[in-house]
Amino acid sequence: MTFTTHFSHCSTSCNDNSKLFSSSSRSSPAIHYRFSGSRRLCRYRINSANGNPLKALPSLPISESAADYDYDDNVETGDSHSTLSITVVGASGDLAKKKIFPALFALYYEDWLPQNFRVFGYARTKMTDEELRNMISRTLTCRVDKREDCEQKMNNFLGRCFYQAGQYSSEEHFAELDTKLKEKEGGKSSNRLFYLSIPPNIFVDVVRCASLRASSATGWTRVIVEKPFGRDSESSAELTKCLKQYLTEEQIFRIDHYLGKELVENLSVLRFSNRVFEPLWSRDYIRNVQLIFSEDFGTEGRGGYFDNYGIIRDIMQNHLLQILTLFAMETPVSLDAEDIRNEKVKVLRSMKTLQLEDVTLGQYKGFSKGGKLYPGYTDDPTVPKDSITPTFAAAALFINNARWDGVPFLMKAGKALHTKRAEIRVQFRHVPGNLYKRNFGTDLDKATNELVLRVQPDEAIYLKINNKVPGLGMRLDRSDLNLLYKARYPREIPDAYERLLLDAIEGERRLFIRSDELDAAWALFSPMLKELEEKRIVPELYPYGSRGPVGAHYLAAKHDVRWGDLSGDDS
Amino acid sequence: MATLSSAQWRSYSTNSFPPSSSNGRQNNHRLLSLSSPVLRKSPPAVFCLQQSQGNSRPNVVLMEDGAVVTPVNPAQKKEAAIQKLEDGLLSSSSISTEELKEAAGFDVNENESSVSITVVGASGDLAKKKIFPALFALYYEGCLPKHFTVFGYARSKMTDAELRNMVSKTLTCRIDQRENCGEKMDQFLKRCFYHSGQYDSQEHFEALDKKLKEHEGGRESNRLFYLSIPPNIFIDAVKCASSSASAASGWTRVIVEKPFGRDSESSAALTKALKQYLTEDQIFRIDHYLGKELVENLSVLRFSNLIFEPLWSRQYIRNVQLIFSEDFGTEGRGGYFDNYGIIRDIMQNHLLQILALFAMETPVSLDAEDIRNEKSHTRGGVTHPGYTDDKTVPKDSVTPTFAAAALFIDNARWDGVPFLMKAGKALHNRSAEIRVQFRHVPGNLYNRNIGTDLDQATNELVIRVQPDEAIYLKINNKVPGLGMRLDRSNLNLLYSTRYSKEIPDAYERLLLDAIEGERRLFIRSDELDAAWSLFTPVLKELEEKRTIPEYYPYGSRGPVGAHYLAARYKVRWGDLGMEE
Repeated sequence: MTFTTHFSHCSTSCNDNSKLFSSSSRSSPAIHYRFSGSRRLCRYRINSANGNPLKALPSLPISESAADYDYDDNVETGDSHSTLSITVVGASGDLAKKKIFPALFALYYEDWLPQNFRVFGYARTKMTDEELRNMISRTLTCRVDKREDCEQKMNNFLGRCFYQAGQYSSEEHFAELDTKLKEKEGGKSSNRLFYLSIPPNIFVDVVRCASLRASSATGWTRVIVEKPFGRDSESSAELTKCLKQYLTEEQIFRIDHYLGKELVENLSVLRFSNRVFEPLWSRDYIRNVQLIFSEDFGTEGRGGYFDNYGIIRDIMQNHLLQILTLFAMETPVSLDAEDIRNEKVKVLRSMKTLQLEDVTLGQYKGFSKGGKLYPGYTDDPTVPKDSITPTFAAAALFINNARWDGVPFLMKAGKALHTKRAEIRVQFRHVPGNLYKRNFGTDLDKATNELVLRVQPDEAIYLKINNKVPGLGMRLDRSDLNLLYKARYPREIPDAYERLLLDAIEGERRLFIRSDELDAAWALFSPMLKELEEKRIVPELYPYGSRGPVGAHYLAAKHDVRWGDLSGDDS
Repeated sequence: MATLSSAQWRSYSTNSFPPSSSNGRQNNHRLLSLSSPVLRKSPPAVFCLQQSQGNSRPNVVLMEDGAVVTPVNPAQKKEAAIQKLEDGLLSSSSISTEELKEAAGFDVNENESSVSITVVGASGDLAKKKIFPALFALYYEGCLPKHFTVFGYARSKMTDAELRNMVSKTLTCRIDQRENCGEKMDQFLKRCFYHSGQYDSQEHFEALDKKLKEHEGGRESNRLFYLSIPPNIFIDAVKCASSSASAASGWTRVIVEKPFGRDSESSAALTKALKQYLTEDQIFRIDHYLGKELVENLSVLRFSNLIFEPLWSRQYIRNVQLIFSEDFGTEGRGGYFDNYGIIRDIMQNHLLQILALFAMETPVSLDAEDIRNEKSHTRGGVTHPGYTDDKTVPKDSVTPTFAAAALFIDNARWDGVPFLMKAGKALHNRSAEIRVQFRHVPGNLYNRNIGTDLDQATNELVIRVQPDEAIYLKINNKVPGLGMRLDRSNLNLLYSTRYSKEIPDAYERLLLDAIEGERRLFIRSDELDAAWSLFTPVLKELEEKRTIPEYYPYGSRGPVGAHYLAARYKVRWGDLGMEE
């Protein structure tokens, strides 16, 4: 409510100079070779986003002299005739320092960036290039598992970082940025990527200025935006409308960094490339699906932003809902971004709009343990004392289609809980006419199969199966068929931001959220959120560091579900 | 799922399959005729009691569903009480035996009946290495009834003390529980006795009978004979034991080990001869592979997990592989082996039994007869393509030490799915495993990311029976990192990390089952007949034509012929892939 006023500014500043940004981004490279000089291996990446025919990709060893050579089908990205400029707007912010610059360096270190790339920081603070480099260098790290040339690579990378100070709403200052960009691009064909790491109330201003004054004249211009994308259907639609005055749909890259997580990416691989899973993927075999997110810390002095949104908008409506759609979608026509996003939208549109009774809320309260006091949510100085913003929520969602009719999809998200984790749990149905019923004792729920994808921490996939306890007699128990990533894949798993930045550079939209997806997602949650606020529903209090409010259990019980993460044999 | 209930099954006396095409295939399969409906005597309720109190271990309570107990003698009040106990146990597994004992107010072991176990051929290798140690392990775990006696019977002259001395050398305690081990051993040995006699002498068995009676001390007596002797004296020993040393008041059961003949005719003759002296339910034909932990687990995996049963058919399974290999040769013990060969020694029994368990329809219950009905049903449908491969053996013997075979089951569930068997001696490793290869993903979205070898991209379920018991499912997974590269990873269950307890030897389970009258893991006559009728024609042809096996070096991966056989059915052996 207070928030929508932020956008009133937009409607006045929107003008008719639409679509100044060049939109050549459609033709991203179909095939993208990168040669890693140190290992002399050809690493390749297949981009089928635009349907270009794919060529066979032999793994060619190449000579040392050619190690730095970038081959590309397409003139636009990567080859020596074009340049790439990445501008981080809001360069002095936390996200930029902790995630964006390190991710860019990691991409550079692993030779994923085109030869002629530059990184620009843009913010209001006065800073020299040197000061920016100094600031960045503190957060850069090399992969744990390969440190060779790390120092040298860092210096090379920092040499390509520059800074431009300016106001976010000043076209003049963006014009100055443009001059600086052009200077570095040296007349070559240029592609420009803007990463908006700024508060939502200045999104539109920046987009306006950047598009009018700093668009690329010769290559593509793309803009990455982070959540929040509004706080309900109306504000989100308003934001989209404003963005579209200056950008086309394909220039907008809405990031949801959960979609860049390794196991979320793997979800589709698991489903669609394994014969053993797809036949089970329906209401015939799946009893319920649980999407669980928990943090073991509270707002810790940063509650100002959070208090205006709450856990449902912050985690559920985006991260968990995105995972749900990936989980539940029908087989897409291909792995093309549009095909996948079409299927995701279909899921969202088949879903039942959330009702108040499908949701339970919680808010953490202070708790003292072992002499240490853990502050409650309203103890946070940045949070109003009478705040009823939920820091915990559980919800039951349903998809009204042939595949999922009647299967509850349960979501749970909370702060200040006993553990930090994100996981997907698939509980299968009971075995009909189970021959071994007697060997389980009374609790048949203990005897169903469960597939768990642990997104974080300690990425893992495991399938709970019933097994005979070795020995004489016939006693069954649940054992796990396990795949622990740490044990199987010794390499460090890249941060989600690396993947997403690379995808944006390559024009791969699969993991970004399309406008219609966003609309559909809001449409599910908005009515319920409105009702919550109108009725001022008070959340159930739960102690900091606990397992959350018991209301979550009652909600689950209503749908004959038992939370898999709190079942005792799994912690 | 269409299952055949016992009653229905028994109404079939014979059944013949239509002759299949003549290119080397079998022409006629006669399905066995069954003997009269089996009347099962009831086994006594037996509980394993942990001797050291307080430590209630998971295997203290036996809950074999198949062991349906009905009182032998209704006059015995305690039987009824035990029945109640058993009911209690079945309905709620959480109550410990100790609690039950208290509740019932008496010691369940104070049963007036006794069990005498006579090991015929007590001085043999199997007896020393497997049978006596297994009996001791059962005793140690409190699984034997209170009044039990172990008798050794053989031709050598020996005193009780000498037998005890011999037995004691091979007894061991579980690695994970050694308390009171020495003491327990002494107690066990005290119950071991020896009687020397000829295997074909009624007189000597009468003398044994007397001795047994002495130890039974007038209690109701149950007697178990374990025939650990060469097949040519089976019948003699059975004749003497049954006519001169059968239990007067309780049950008498006889455990026999393979070989059960060497073809349909000799097997039928053996069965016929045995049946002159024993009824079907007295005969316990042991196949020790059926007592292996993971073979037992096969049915659990299938029938108690929703995720496997839907996949268990030709629709999803491309082929099934049953693989057995030993890393040593006959090593001077080839005399017996040379007369049989690897097909009779391993395939026709162990691997075929596992196949039947794997492929059977859902049984009506876990009751022994239901399971065995399903198994013989399965067996009845198997046809042999008439091509058995790759055998090798030295000198002028053409006895195969290695064989691979492709079998097919002509029913709705398995039509067209090759079941490949492979068994060999003197190979590069020692293993026994079941491999289930699933079909390709139709219209795989990720084909491009897998590369050209689509075989690499199919799921595979592996059940490793030995060594290092394990279950794993090969899945396609994204290699973590940027880009999209897939590889195969395993969803793993390694028994040694999950279950810290030592896994009991197969003989322990089977001996216990025989004592309890649990027949699930033993082979019924009709099963045996059906199994032989599958293999006999091919075995005969091999011998008539003196087909010469392909040579392979000791310690190698076996003859390449096995690959060609597999290739004929579009199969690739899972155990010889690059990743294994």
